[in-house]
Amino acid sequence: MSIEVRNVTKRFGDFVALEDVSVSLPTGQLTALLGPSGGGKSTLLRIIAGLDTADEGTVTIEGTEATNLPARKRNVGFVFQHYAVFKHMTVAKNVAFGLEIRKKPKDEVAARVDELLRLVHLQQFSHRLPSQLSGGQRQRMALARALAVEPKVLLLDEPFGALDAKVRKELREWLRRLHDEVHVTTVFVTHDQEEAMEVSDEIVVINEGRVEQIGSPDDLYDKPANDFVMGFLGEVTRVNGEAVRPHDVDISTAPVLAGAAQGTISRVLRVGFEVRVTVLTDGGEEVTVQLTKAHANALGLHEDQTVWVSPNPGAVPAMSRAV
Amino acid sequence: MLWFSLLVLIPLAAVVVKAGGGGWETFVDAVTNRQTFAALRLTVLTSVGVTALNMVMGTIIAWVLVRDRFPGKAILDLVIDIPFALPTIVAGLVLLSLYGPNSPVGVHASNTRVAVFLAIAFVTLPFIVRTVQPVLEEMERDFEEAAASLGASRLTTFRRITLPTLAPAIFAGAALSFARGISEYGSLVLLSGNLPYRTEVTSVRMLSYLEGGDTASAAAVATILLVVALLAIVTLDVIQRRVARRG
Ligand SMILES: Nc1ncnc2c1ncn2[C@@H]1O[C@H](COP(=O)(O)OP(=O)(O)O)[C@@H](O)[C@H]1O
Ligand SMILES: [Mg+2]
Repeated sequence: MSIEVRNVTKRFGDFVALEDVSVSLPTGQLTALLGPSGGGKSTLLRIIAGLDTADEGTVTIEGTEATNLPARKRNVGFVFQHYAVFKHMTVAKNVAFGLEIRKKPKDEVAARVDELLRLVHLQQFSHRLPSQLSGGQRQRMALARALAVEPKVLLLDEPFGALDAKVRKELREWLRRLHDEVHVTTVFVTHDQEEAMEVSDEIVVINEGRVEQIGSPDDLYDKPANDFVMGFLGEVTRVNGEAVRPHDVDISTAPVLAGAAQGTISRVLRVGFEVRVTVLTDGGEEVTVQLTKAHANALGLHEDQTVWVSPNPGAVPAMSRAV
Repeated sequence: MLWFSLLVLIPLAAVVVKAGGGGWETFVDAVTNRQTFAALRLTVLTSVGVTALNMVMGTIIAWVLVRDRFPGKAILDLVIDIPFALPTIVAGLVLLSLYGPNSPVGVHASNTRVAVFLAIAFVTLPFIVRTVQPVLEEMERDFEEAAASLGASRLTTFRRITLPTLAPAIFAGAALSFARGISEYGSLVLLSGNLPYRTEVTSVRMLSYLEGGDTASAAAVATILLVVALLAIVTLDVIQRRVARRG
């Protein structure tokens, strides 16, 4: 295990930001800490980095007991949401900082900086000041700066949170490719489930200071441990009291399925390639069904039609599983 | 630009013309006059000393005001401005009662060069505090954390990151502080005693020229002060650029 967090509790005054949190992250993996804002993700990441200290519990990094180690001795790379650039230094100087304070020989520093700027595609900007870069470029510079000292683990706190949607999407794909090249154990914080699912090997869902579930993106989506995880990772609708994803609801124009709920279509909405149908069941539920355009056309669905809906037997509802 | 010209350039030009009008000789006479030279030296050296001290103390006070939490902080924040707010002659009275012959704190600085230093330090203290404070307030803390995570000690972080970031503000405040220092009059006339060769400063010397009807000499001395001030500003700017680039 590269990072071992055991029974960590953190309070700010009376407020409990983390409560008995334990997480183990294997070496070389890209992990996302996912959860709603205020859930304690940053706090956990900062405790791993040594920028905050836990009130209780321990942190081990690559087998080294790090609980009482100051940040500068942990050899952890940290990337901040708002870049935290050194404004008065050029891009190259920013990247060289960690190496220079380690008193590395000049030519070695220059070679390493060059290599890193190439890695983050900023080689032609090495003599610019950070203020002359775009947000995305600044964050790539911050990433190169963190990687320069060959950290044991790389921690990123909502690294793309301050960027606009398009750059954000590009950068997250780029981060994934970069990780496949560099293989450093990486943890990144995000509140965007799509970002977490797209980029990471494993997701730790954190809510109100507790770990709700740890698993692969597929696991979390298909087998959420509880209502919260299910709701946070994707849309949820209820049929006969069971929580299911809208695309896991079967709809038919005749009562062929035993136990299906009868209802009336109140709305048919087409969004691109998919159709979202809202059904008001006789039991008083409002069920959302998601299906392909072709499927909807084949069934000939229209408003005020009587239909039958039931959870797809292949999709096990979250509620039926013990946490 | 017109406003700037009216307000600054024309009076400056007038002083220089006036000094030049007396001919080169008046100029040389004024400067080589031993009493004037002593006054100039005292003024400039004291201002340099005070400014250097202010750069350290002002930065520390600004730091404490922004970063530390303690009872009475709001009051201290207000008190800093008192030297600004007081008419200088009132400041002089305050200093006289504090450090004069009947000093309640047991410091007798009247008629000494310490008096000159104290008076200049008193009136120039707010400059650096007030230029550095807003920069510190706006400064994000995260780059300090970034430096720490890259392995920098607190001292290295301060020297290579924080200080270069603050440098423009510190030096801008220093330029103001120095310029105010060399021209100070009101706050020090009472306490310093204005003893020729010992505690007489340039502004007092200029006044005595004027009282003697020798406006040309007064203007000559003023021109020298002007040049000194310009030199100081340029020098400070050059050093500032060095410090800012050093990181
Ligand atoms: N330094 C602090 N002082 C007081 N409360 C804090 C501090 N840092 C974080 N908190 C509180 O702890 C909770 C978790 O914060 P954080 O870890 O930043 O959440 P997240 O990153 O998941 O949005 C929030 O309610 C926040 O207000
Ligand atoms: Mg956060």
